[in-house]
Amino acid sequence: MPESGIVALDGIAIARGGRVLLHNVNVAFRVGVVAVVGANGVGKTSLLRTIAGALAPTAGTVRVRGVDVRALTARERARSIALVEGNEPAFAALTVEDAVAAARFPYHRWWEWDPTAEDEAAVDDALGRTALTAFRARELGTLSAGERQRVWIALALAQRAPVVLLDEPTAHLDLKASVQTLQLLRDVAAGGALVIAVLHQLEEAAAFADRVVVLGGGGVIADGAPAAALTTGTIADAFGVDVVVERRPEGLAFHRRAGADAP
Amino acid sequence: MRAVRFAILAALVPLAVLIGIAFGGAPLDGATLLHALFHPREGGDAVTIVWQLRVPRVAIAATVGAALALAGALLQALLRNPIVDPYLTGISSGAGASIAIAATVGAAPAVIPPLGFLSGLATAILVAVLARRGPRLDPERLVLAGVSLSALLSAVVTLAIERLARGTASEAILAWLAGSLAGRGWPELAAAAPEALLGLIIAVAAIPALNVLRLGEARAASLGVDVARLQWALLIAATLLTAAAVALAGLVGFVGLVIPHLARRLVGPDLRALIPASLLAGAALVVLADALARTVAAPAEIPLGVLLAFIGVPTFLVLYLRGGARAYA
Repeated sequence: MPESGIVALDGIAIARGGRVLLHNVNVAFRVGVVAVVGANGVGKTSLLRTIAGALAPTAGTVRVRGVDVRALTARERARSIALVEGNEPAFAALTVEDAVAAARFPYHRWWEWDPTAEDEAAVDDALGRTALTAFRARELGTLSAGERQRVWIALALAQRAPVVLLDEPTAHLDLKASVQTLQLLRDVAAGGALVIAVLHQLEEAAAFADRVVVLGGGGVIADGAPAAALTTGTIADAFGVDVVVERRPEGLAFHRRAGADAP
Repeated sequence: MRAVRFAILAALVPLAVLIGIAFGGAPLDGATLLHALFHPREGGDAVTIVWQLRVPRVAIAATVGAALALAGALLQALLRNPIVDPYLTGISSGAGASIAIAATVGAAPAVIPPLGFLSGLATAILVAVLARRGPRLDPERLVLAGVSLSALLSAVVTLAIERLARGTASEAILAWLAGSLAGRGWPELAAAAPEALLGLIIAVAAIPALNVLRLGEARAASLGVDVARLQWALLIAATLLTAAAVALAGLVGFVGLVIPHLARRLVGPDLRALIPASLLAGAALVVLADALARTVAAPAEIPLGVLLAFIGVPTFLVLYLRGGARAYA
């Protein structure tokens, strides 16, 4: 049995289109920021969607605070887990405020149409923390890709779920916005939430995560504090790239060794 | 601003109803009309004309308009596609084909309306089954299945008309295709109203979830919307509403396409406003169009569907082409 935490994966296997991506994954997550890294197509997004209950695993269970996510109703799940995926098109004439207010749907029964004071506070707070207050009346169609990404993060914050899952939250963001977003995720975790983010930049994972999970070869290659999980050996296993990991006072730095890529 | 526009829309319906009752084949002066309207138990020609001909006809026109506009608004939100029409569900083409075949083989007139209703529903179910992917409906497959089946069934109708060249049965099919409220009364309305009402109830219950669906299917699912259940409920609602309209009026095009666009321009994309606005605008438009269809070439009637196509197509083109921006980003 894996150790208990907010989220526990017990013998999880995931297949997509007949191909087994991951098998027998056993991990548990506590409050904090977890970065999931790995090569393209290794199953990072599928793992995130499985934790969110959006995808059924072929084996095993995901438990959130001890309860199987697949046994929760859609609304119960949405009150426990927020999932941020940036690539789906949304209605362009929607204002930022209306989009973020949709986060409060799981807190209402179908005949309760009007926002409560708590809903308004959650939306205002989410807009404030993502620096979107000045954008609240803007339509989604008029935003840049980076601004829209912030809207989806605000949506997840307004959902007020104890588990926040993000698929490449810094994609489309410039350097400053990336740093701000990752700092925001740290603040969310400091407030008592579990944040799991799929990240492509190893530097970002090393600098902002409390814990890094490296996926590859159908399972977990490494799992631990950034300096322990991101080594020359685990990176070669996960990406097939020969990298020198340099420990600097400000964090880890990764340099590719010229002409020496693993086969 | 939105409230003002909403109030104007709401005021338009009773105005349209008054116009619909005031104009018709037999001229009635204002005093006679009002007296008949408010004293339905007194009897006489005026009361008969008002209560047995004009009021039911206006009520039917309002029902048809509201049902088609609502079905269009639901399907456009469900499929996340602003150029979807309620007839995409296959209801009308299925009903049309079976009516055409029944007329060709000389079936009794009494069996034709229920036959049309049942075959319309059967076609809608077939379209939905073809559009299924896993537990959910695939918007692209639904459009593809709806358009291709409708084309096939339209060919059946054309063949039937061609076979029956100039016969009275052929004229009956043509009248149905052109869309008309001529000869419809209280019994037809009573038969169609329950379906329309059931569709309306499902639609209203789905409004909050439909609002969330505007963010995309995956996001809606992670926000607690049971997407598969919502899709099936809305398809059933749209099918019931369209079936009621088709049973009452035959093919009345463009209401379901144009009215949701117009309503979106007036009150914005929030379905809490868009759904009632579509309902009101659809009812007002069809009541006015039917009044026009009855009077413009009196005593002959212009087919309602034809008249609405003449109004609807240019309106739609202007609205859609001037819209400019993409609907989804």
